[in-house]
Amino acid sequence: MAEKTILVIDDDIDLVEIIRVTLENQGFKVIDAQTGERGLAMAKEQDPDLILLDVMMGKVDEGFQVAYELRSNDVTAETPILMLTAVTDQTGFDFDPAKDKDFLPVNEFLEKPISPRSLVDMVRKHLPTNV
Amino acid sequence: MRCDLQNPNEPIDPGTSQFVSAASLRARLDWFNKLRWGAAAGVFAVVLIAGVGLKAPIEVRGLLLTGGVLLLLNTAYFLRSRRFKAVDIAIELRLVKVQMVGDLVTLTVLLNLSGGVENPLLFLYVIHVIIASLLFKGREIFQIAWLAIFLFTAEVFGEYFNLLPHHHLPIAGEMAHELPFILMTLGSFWLVILFCAFVGALIMRHNRAIKDELVVHQSVLMAEDRAKTDFFRFVTHEIKSPVNTAQSGVETALDLGGESLAPSVRDVLERAVSRLKQATKIVQDLADLTRGGVLKEENLSQVDFNDLVTATVDAQRDLAARSGIEIRLLLANPPIMLTTVRNMVETVVANLVNNAIRYSREAGRVSVRVVDTGKRVRLIVEDEGIGIEENEQGLIFDEFYRSTAAREASNLGTGLGLPIVRKFVEELGGTIEVDSRVGHGAVFTVTLPRKSRKRRR
Repeated sequence: MAEKTILVIDDDIDLVEIIRVTLENQGFKVIDAQTGERGLAMAKEQDPDLILLDVMMGKVDEGFQVAYELRSNDVTAETPILMLTAVTDQTGFDFDPAKDKDFLPVNEFLEKPISPRSLVDMVRKHLPTNV
Repeated sequence: MRCDLQNPNEPIDPGTSQFVSAASLRARLDWFNKLRWGAAAGVFAVVLIAGVGLKAPIEVRGLLLTGGVLLLLNTAYFLRSRRFKAVDIAIELRLVKVQMVGDLVTLTVLLNLSGGVENPLLFLYVIHVIIASLLFKGREIFQIAWLAIFLFTAEVFGEYFNLLPHHHLPIAGEMAHELPFILMTLGSFWLVILFCAFVGALIMRHNRAIKDELVVHQSVLMAEDRAKTDFFRFVTHEIKSPVNTAQSGVETALDLGGESLAPSVRDVLERAVSRLKQATKIVQDLADLTRGGVLKEENLSQVDFNDLVTATVDAQRDLAARSGIEIRLLLANPPIMLTTVRNMVETVVANLVNNAIRYSREAGRVSVRVVDTGKRVRLIVEDEGIGIEENEQGLIFDEFYRSTAAREASNLGTGLGLPIVRKFVEELGGTIEVDSRVGHGAVFTVTLPRKSRKRRR
């Protein structure tokens, strides 16, 4: 069984490390990027099996932009994307995962704070072949 | 004059202190209209009682005619006000002046027909000057005052020099040709009229200045209030990430440690998680509380209230079951459709039901009822729990206030659940009431309109 690679794109280094510990403990390989730009480059380069993407990094909609670009790239067009959200309180920016799912090219929204159990469950659920 | 009490949350209309809105002028015109019906009725009553009933030698025909003209004019004003909306301020302002001049002329004719200088009703001119000082500013008030002085003086001297007919007032002495009396009356008349105009102008100028100041101060306060809300939102946003990450971190440590953790370590970490969850909830609640302008047309949708309440209650049945609490649900029949903001109503129902469960006793009962009251719909959430002291019932809707009993029962509440409920209910155009006895439970009754709409302003 090949080791599955998860790319985590989030500018919160502590959260990235927490996710890394959780996922590595479950036998996944974790790579990470702190910016959308770096994340996109890594995704194209290393073709991860799944991407965990923070909705908001430097800018309000950076996560959305990254998601669109990942979807329009041949290498990552089919890669599952789980979006980490905590945006419900954002100034002038309101979205409802249930309603907006169809408009956003991601497979699932995970509301922060994410418990390790549900993170692992979601990652397993969306990996191309069940691990 | 009509004076509406202002809602302190709504900006004062600067138009109420000055002539800047056609509508405020129209309101004053309509008030005149009512006064004038009274004046016409007074003329007819006097003529009928004195002239017809007591057969006093007064100018019945002339007085009736003048009263009739007044009635006709007022009917015309009335119909115009009904027919045309107040749009142009210049037109309304001219109309006020025309009516005022018309009234002064009518009063002069009536006085001429009823004794002139002999008639003590000459002080009715004073009332007109006072009204003018309520409506106009500086020079305009004096224009009305001078017009009153001119008309009355002309009438009196007109009679004195026999240029106008004199209709003697039977109850008074024959004075129309007594020069010293005429001069004394006119002198005091001028003095009173000019003094009223002066004082009226002064008071109203002061009054308007105070109001203008209020408008300015209120807008400053409202801006500060907005700034405070923005600050809350900013803080909320900044705190959210670290708290979330900390919670994920501690949960991960618990998860990784598994059975190998010493019970005391596990206990400490679990306590940390529950407090971090509380912090997360506070942050989320603060976000709800400081979010504004949710009640937009595009957020309104048709909601089956029975379905919404059922789903929201079902989502909390697990929590209730853990304490052996039974939730009884009584729905409206037939179902009620609301035009409302779904997630606001969900939050209202969820918070109330959640409170009812959390503050119930072990194996207690919670009842949730939906009642159709015609135009509105009522949600009644009742528990048999700890209850709320009477003197605290008005405070539980304040941010971060937690009742004594609630604090004793649990230290994990946010103190924001009920403020959010109240805020949402009020935004949706509804009301909330609480009825409770300590130790016997509480009943929260929310009334919502079938159709929520954006509030004025």
